[in-house]
Amino acid sequence: MTHSALMKLSEKPWLWAFIGATCVWIATIIFTGGQGAGEILSAALSFGTFSVIVGIGQMYVITLGPGNVDLSIPATMTFAGVVSMKIIDSQNSMILTGLLIALACGAAVGVFNYGLIRLLRIPPIIATLSSSFLVQSSAIAYGRGLKIKPPPLLADFSTTKILGVPLLAICVMPLAAFMGLVLHRTVYGKSVLAIGQNPRAAKLAGVRVDFIRFATYVLSAVLAGFCGYVLSGFSGGASLNMGAEYLLASIAVVVIGGTSVAGGYSNLPGLWGASLFMFLLVTMLNTFGLSAGVRLILTGAIIVGVIVLAGGRKN
Amino acid sequence: MKTLSLSALLVGATLGVTAFGPAALADTSGKRIALSNNYAGNSWRQAMLKSWDKNGKAAVAAGIVAAADPFTTSENQVTEQAAQIQNMILQGYDAIVVNAASPDALNGAVKEACDAGITVVSFDGIVTEPCAWRIAVNFKQMGKEQLIYLADKVPAGGNLLEIRGLAGVFVDDEISAGIHEGAKENSQFKIVGSVHGDWAQDVSQKAVAGILPSLPEIAAVVTQGGDGYGAAQAFKAAGRPTPLIIMGNRQDELQWWKEQKDANGYETMSVSIAPGVSTLAFWVAQQVLDGAEVPKDLTVPFLRVDQHDLEEKLGGTEKGGVANIEYSLEDAKKSNLGHVGPRNYFRLARNFVILP
Repeated sequence: MTHSALMKLSEKPWLWAFIGATCVWIATIIFTGGQGAGEILSAALSFGTFSVIVGIGQMYVITLGPGNVDLSIPATMTFAGVVSMKIIDSQNSMILTGLLIALACGAAVGVFNYGLIRLLRIPPIIATLSSSFLVQSSAIAYGRGLKIKPPPLLADFSTTKILGVPLLAICVMPLAAFMGLVLHRTVYGKSVLAIGQNPRAAKLAGVRVDFIRFATYVLSAVLAGFCGYVLSGFSGGASLNMGAEYLLASIAVVVIGGTSVAGGYSNLPGLWGASLFMFLLVTMLNTFGLSAGVRLILTGAIIVGVIVLAGGRKN
Repeated sequence: MKTLSLSALLVGATLGVTAFGPAALADTSGKRIALSNNYAGNSWRQAMLKSWDKNGKAAVAAGIVAAADPFTTSENQVTEQAAQIQNMILQGYDAIVVNAASPDALNGAVKEACDAGITVVSFDGIVTEPCAWRIAVNFKQMGKEQLIYLADKVPAGGNLLEIRGLAGVFVDDEISAGIHEGAKENSQFKIVGSVHGDWAQDVSQKAVAGILPSLPEIAAVVTQGGDGYGAAQAFKAAGRPTPLIIMGNRQDELQWWKEQKDANGYETMSVSIAPGVSTLAFWVAQQVLDGAEVPKDLTVPFLRVDQHDLEEKLGGTEKGGVANIEYSLEDAKKSNLGHVGPRNYFRLARNFVILP
């Protein structure tokens, strides 16, 4: 009984994100008379992939429990994108080096974030927010608004579609599945969940709380760095405001995806549903041709609705 | 210095101010001017700050003013900028040049500055407080101009996709109003879709990619600047023919246009406000401090790039920057009187840049 109840808990929430995405998609194609149904899905998958990448990191952080959130994701994306694109300088031969640089940028930000949180005892919200100012300013100082084209191979890789499915999404799916396995099948993942449920109990049970939290903040920043790198390839270069919309998006996909904001319960498949939902929702409202005000009100109302539905199931 | 006094004389002549020679310049040599800027996170703002820096440093070196210090708030918040302006009052600046986060929410702080005897000049993001000077662009006309161009280029008309800026911002409403007015006057065009691209390439790309599948054939994309390249990427990714996309003077947009032009004779036009408008605000502040009569409301023409001068302007634009001109006071005077069209204006500005 307990087992099946737990299964219910962990399985139901992500269903709502997919149901929401499907409803919104159907509403859109009814409006267009069936035109562009496949293309809309394909575009949703393209852009949703970026939200999923940063969403995975944010989900791990949020799972650590109340007060844990990474607000430096947009700045880290921008920083990693700007630095890697400038060093690569559009050369195909530098793609791998660039990737490593982007990941290293992310790792550096992650270490710095946790340094603020642990050594200076600053709450994560304030620590990551203030570090994001530093990181964003570094990106501005280093990049000076320069938009350098990504190497052609990287641009092709991030924009290619196979039968309408973006190659990048195909590559990120195993990564997401792997991160799901890590969360539920490894000591590290179980530790993250345990800390989220009760940090004291976790500590008494022998979980190395500090190390796990450290690793999680670094993981989130590294994924943000990776996202900044592929997004630069996708959108023809890094720009200073490229990360801006991923602050809300990274948190929204986690919450809509059925992960508990209070921590301790995660939901990886829900990230995909929520990312598709967020993109399709904006597309639907754009397609309906509503004014910006109405669009924003509806976006807010629908997101609240989905969270209430998903959350209601949990109790 | 030679060109400087020449320009100063020209200014004097235009203004009708007598005894406006090198002697007048000395009057502001002890004055300090501060720039209060609300945002630095995009290429336009970077170019704007760079122009200010270059122009300001040269002016300080030439002994025209004592300081031209730029300050940017970190969070693009009205409260933060109000506090910043209050700090500038306390620091004893003689003039404050403002690119404001809000047209009316800073009025209190601006009024305080005026009451303290400080000259306040707002530009781009202007303030409505009457004691301040305003250097505005006719954004509505900037929108309308696009339709006038399209009516000439595509007489048969067709469907338009509109990319707007940041929802709720005055500039976005104005440009969009101009576009819709233009579309009404040229009824062969129909706006079939409208998305918000936040003046950012990647946001625009995302928004266009989302709405594109549901749209019929698009003849042209009308834009607000900073969004044309993203739109082009979205059309390419969707495998649809690239329509005529109006550009917004960003280097990546002009570069893309050049590549298309060379490959298949692609034609369009590009229009935006030149980031060097910050230097105009600087000179207005300097002139006011000098005692010159300057009208409270100045209008700056936008900077337009056409098929024939694309190469010239692209060549003069830094990689990753924005097509720019650094302003001098006499240009603004003339444009304010309505004598100088944008294109002549550009040439004029190039000839009369005060400080290289």
